[in-house]
Amino acid sequence: MSVLKWWSGLLVAFLLLALLRVFLPLPFANEIMIFSVYAIGCNFLLGRVGFISFGQPAYLAVGAYGTAFYLFYFGTNPYIGILIGIISGFVVSLAVGPLFVRLRSDYFALVNLALAVIIFFLMQKVLAGITHGDDGLWFLTRMDSTPVLDLTQPDQFFIFAFLIAFAVWAFYKYIDDSIYGACCLGTKINEDKLKFLGYNTYNIRLLAFVIANTTTALAGSMYAIYLGFVSPEITSPARVADPIVVTILGGVGTLYGPIVGAIAYTGMKDLLSQVFGNWELIVGFLLVFIMLAGEKGIWGTLAPVLERTFTRLTAPRSAPAPRTEPGVKGT
Amino acid sequence: MIDAHLLVSGIIFGLSMGSIYFLTAIGLSLCFGLMRVISLDQLLYYAIGAYITYSISAAIGNLWLGILCGVVVGGLAGFAVERLVFLRIYEKDITFSMITSFGILIGGVGVIKFIWGLVPRPVPVPIETQLNVLGTDVPVYRLIVILIALLVYAGIWLFLNRTIIGKAIRAGTEDVENVEGLGINVYRLFTITFIIAGALSALAGGLNSPLIMVDPQMGLEVLAFTFMVVIIGGLGSIKGTFISALLVGQVVSLGSLIYAPLAQMAPFAIMLLILLIKPTGLYGSQLLKR
Repeated sequence: MSVLKWWSGLLVAFLLLALLRVFLPLPFANEIMIFSVYAIGCNFLLGRVGFISFGQPAYLAVGAYGTAFYLFYFGTNPYIGILIGIISGFVVSLAVGPLFVRLRSDYFALVNLALAVIIFFLMQKVLAGITHGDDGLWFLTRMDSTPVLDLTQPDQFFIFAFLIAFAVWAFYKYIDDSIYGACCLGTKINEDKLKFLGYNTYNIRLLAFVIANTTTALAGSMYAIYLGFVSPEITSPARVADPIVVTILGGVGTLYGPIVGAIAYTGMKDLLSQVFGNWELIVGFLLVFIMLAGEKGIWGTLAPVLERTFTRLTAPRSAPAPRTEPGVKGT
Repeated sequence: MIDAHLLVSGIIFGLSMGSIYFLTAIGLSLCFGLMRVISLDQLLYYAIGAYITYSISAAIGNLWLGILCGVVVGGLAGFAVERLVFLRIYEKDITFSMITSFGILIGGVGVIKFIWGLVPRPVPVPIETQLNVLGTDVPVYRLIVILIALLVYAGIWLFLNRTIIGKAIRAGTEDVENVEGLGINVYRLFTITFIIAGALSALAGGLNSPLIMVDPQMGLEVLAFTFMVVIIGGLGSIKGTFISALLVGQVVSLGSLIYAPLAQMAPFAIMLLILLIKPTGLYGSQLLKR
C-alpha cells in the first residue's frame, strides 16, 4: 500500500504530462521534457543544498558536446552518444566539484558563471578546429535508426524523453525521501548542526553537486540528439539564467516545480514572443514579483491548495496531515 | 616580440577598458560591502546610461551633456529600484537579492527593447584628435576615460574617508548594527549608496558608448567581466576593485595581442585561480555577520 502511495504522485503527474502531449504540438512537448530535466538539477542545487548556480549551461554544454563528439567523429548509435554525454558530465563535475563546493553560495554562483563563459569561448574559438566554432556540429543524418525506440523520429524521441524524465523524477523523489536528502536539506538550513551530528558536509555537497550536474549533462545530450546539432550558443552568457528562472517560476525545492516551471516558461516564451515580441520584460518582472511575493513559485503556491482539497475529499472528518518539510519524516 | 607601438596602444586600450570595468564594478562592490546584496541591476543602469547618452547626443550633438543626463537618469533609476524592490529584501538571504536583481536586469532589458528597439546604435566619438605618447598615436578620448576613472576613484576615496556620510558608510561595511546603535539611519545610507552606485554605472555606460555599439544586450555582455573584477578584487573593497579592474583590462587587451581567443578566457582562468587560492579575493575581508 505504501509502495503504491509512494508512486501515486509520480504516476499522476506523468499521466497528466502524457495527456498534455495530446493537446500540445510535438516540438513544444519535447522541449518541455528536456527543459524539465535540465531544470531539476538546478532545482536540486538551489532548493536542497542552497547553492545557486549561474553556470548550469556549462554542464549542459559538456553533455551536449560529449554526445556530439561521439556522433560526429566516432560512432552512429544515439544511445551510446547519450551514455557518453552522461559520462563526460559526470567526469567534469567530479573534476571541478572538489574545488567549487568549498566556496560560499554567492562565490559558487560566480565561479560557475566563469566556467560557463570559459566553456563558451573554448568551444567557440580555442577548439574551433574540432567544434567548427559558431557553425556547430551537425550530425542529424549520421545517427542510426535504432530498432525499439527510434531517437531520430521526434514522436518516438518524445516517448524516450518521457521515460527518462520519469526515471529522473523517481530518482530525485527517492533522494528526497532518503536520509541523504535530509542531510542535503540540513546543509542548507543549518550546516553547523549537521556537523555536530557527525556528518561530513563537504562530502554531502560534493555528491549533490555531482548528481545535479550529471542530470544537467543528461539534459544536454538529450538536446544534442533531439536537435541533431550542437553549437556554442548552448552555453552563451545570455542564457545562463534560463534554468534559474524556470526553477523559481515553478517553485524552489518542490519536486514537481521544474515541470510546471518548464511548461510555463516555454509556453510564455513561445506565446509571448509571437504576440508581444518582448518576452524578457514579462519574464523579468514576473521573476521579481515571484521573489517579492514569497519565492514560492507556481507549484509552491498551488501544491498546498491541492493537497488541502485532496485531503478534504478523501477524509472529510480527519484533521489535516501535519505539514513537514520534504525529505524530513513526519512525526 | 610585440611591436612597441602595438604595446603602447594595447596598454592604453587596456587601461581605458579597465576604467570602464572599474566604474561598473564599483557599484556592485559598494552595494555588497554595505548592504550585503548582490545588485546585478547595476548592469541595467550601465545600459540606461549608454542609451540616454545616445539619445541626448543625437538630439543636441553634445556627448558630455548626454553623459551627464545619463548619470542623472541612472541615479534616479537606482533610487526608484531601491525604494520599490531592494528595501523589501535587505533582510533576506544573499542569493535572494541575486535572483531578484537579475529579474530586474532582464525586465529592464525588455523595457529598453520596448523604447529603443533592437537595432544597435552608434554614438559618434566627440574628440577625434590623437595624442602622441612615446611615439605612438593614441586617441585622446580613451585618455579622458582613464582620467575620469582616476578622478572618480579619488572622489570616492575622499567621500568615504573625509565626509561624515562616507565614514558612516565605511563603518556600516564593518558592522551595521553598531552604526544603527549610534543613532544613524542606515536605510538612508543604503539609499545614498545605491544612488551613487547607479550613477557610476550609468557614467560607465555613457563613457563606453562611443567606443562600442549601444545595444539592449550590452549589460549582459559585460556582466561576466564586471563580476570577475569584483570577485578578483574582493567584494566590498574599493581599492581591490580598482586594482583588479586595471589588471583585467590589461589581461584582456594584451592577451588579445598575443593570442586572440585567449583574451576572453584568460581573465576567467585568473579568477578561478585567485578564488581557489584566496576565496575572498585580493583585498576582500571575511564576510561579517549581519
